[in-house]
Amino acid sequence: MRYGFYIGTCLFLIIVQTTVLTYFSIFAGMYDLLIPFVVFISICLPLRESLPFVIILGLVLDNISGSPFGLHLTFYFWLLAGVRWIIKFLRVSNKFLLSLVLVSAVLIQNILIIGTFGFAVPGWQLPAAALKNIALQIFWASITGPLFLFCLLAISKRFGIQFNGSAPPPKAYG
Amino acid sequence: MVLIVGVIVLIIVNVILLSITSKRQSTFGLGRVGLSFVAPFQELITRSVRFSRGVWQHYFFLVSVAHENETLKNSINQFIEKDNERHEIELANTRLRNLLNFQKTPTNPVVAAEVIGKDPSGWFKTVIIDKGRSDGLQKGLPVVLPTGIAGQVIEVSGHYAKVMLIIDRNSAVDALVQRSRARGIIKGALADECRFEYVLRKHDVQMGDTVIASGLDGVYPKGLRIGRISELNERSSNIFYEITVTPFVDYEKLEEVLVILHPKQQPFESQQ
Repeated sequence: MRYGFYIGTCLFLIIVQTTVLTYFSIFAGMYDLLIPFVVFISICLPLRESLPFVIILGLVLDNISGSPFGLHLTFYFWLLAGVRWIIKFLRVSNKFLLSLVLVSAVLIQNILIIGTFGFAVPGWQLPAAALKNIALQIFWASITGPLFLFCLLAISKRFGIQFNGSAPPPKAYG
Repeated sequence: MVLIVGVIVLIIVNVILLSITSKRQSTFGLGRVGLSFVAPFQELITRSVRFSRGVWQHYFFLVSVAHENETLKNSINQFIEKDNERHEIELANTRLRNLLNFQKTPTNPVVAAEVIGKDPSGWFKTVIIDKGRSDGLQKGLPVVLPTGIAGQVIEVSGHYAKVMLIIDRNSAVDALVQRSRARGIIKGALADECRFEYVLRKHDVQMGDTVIASGLDGVYPKGLRIGRISELNERSSNIFYEITVTPFVDYEKLEEVLVILHPKQQPFESQQ
């Protein structure tokens, strides 16, 4: 049941991101919708379960994207590691801090992508369109990201999925 | 201490691997797995969305159709006149070709495919199409539209393929300015535009010129339209022009494409 929920949500997000959203020009600068999901499973699942999940997710995204192979895998892996480390100090129920983590993750993913552009073409300069793209993604992430993350947390609470040991037990998320 | 060293080593290994993969467009053979897994769902959703949109546009949203119909009728009249002129030119061309004993240009077989998914990231410009190896597709085949070049196949699974559009940062097309035959390379930029690089300033290039494929890259057949020059910087001290090309293809609305199965190679000597 629990894994069905994770796999279903994951597949749903990939499909929405690659098909449905492309029909709406307003979502042209949308961020990677799997970032809130990776943050969510980093909080909810123990490492032995979340790590294989994140690796498979990264590989699937690398397969369907035109990005250098391993880019999504790298990012999701370090996001998992970072979130698991950060929730040792952070209260999971603190909405503001979690939102900040999410927006930072979107920013870091963009920096990583730009870094790979630099690897491929030495001396590559950041064009103005890139800055606009980043600004749009941050905008969407700050508006919809926390909402989306707290929805996932609320659903998981309803299904009785417990947080891993490093975080406090679920409180009020809504 | 061991943990910190482990993390540092992992970061270094990760950076090295990423720098290698960012230079080579390779998935080490794993590319087909994810494509085969996700693409059927993408196909299902894309067809459902298109069906719903079709129902809406053809049965409910008909307010502006009458006006559009009037405009289209006027356009058709103009096109009939132009088609007649084109037909005359075609006949003249055939007569002259026969006179010069030219061989008729063979038509390449094509496969029509539907776009079923787009890149999950806004940074990369790739699409997934619903035709794959079973339809005769293979890596490197050119993908076109009647309006111009779309891109090339970069990954193929049994029934699906991934296409890199020419607006992708990794794409490069050997091209010519149709009017003056000035040569250069069309490269993808981050916006939905291309840069036309390595065009020498001694050549005659003007705003609005049409850019076509030269056929010298061994991927795209010669003469396929790419786009129109929309920005031209002649003032830079560089020996090359700084040119921006707006493609003829609207990549935001890409729905169907044609894959050329066996593009005719253009021997380099024949261009000299």
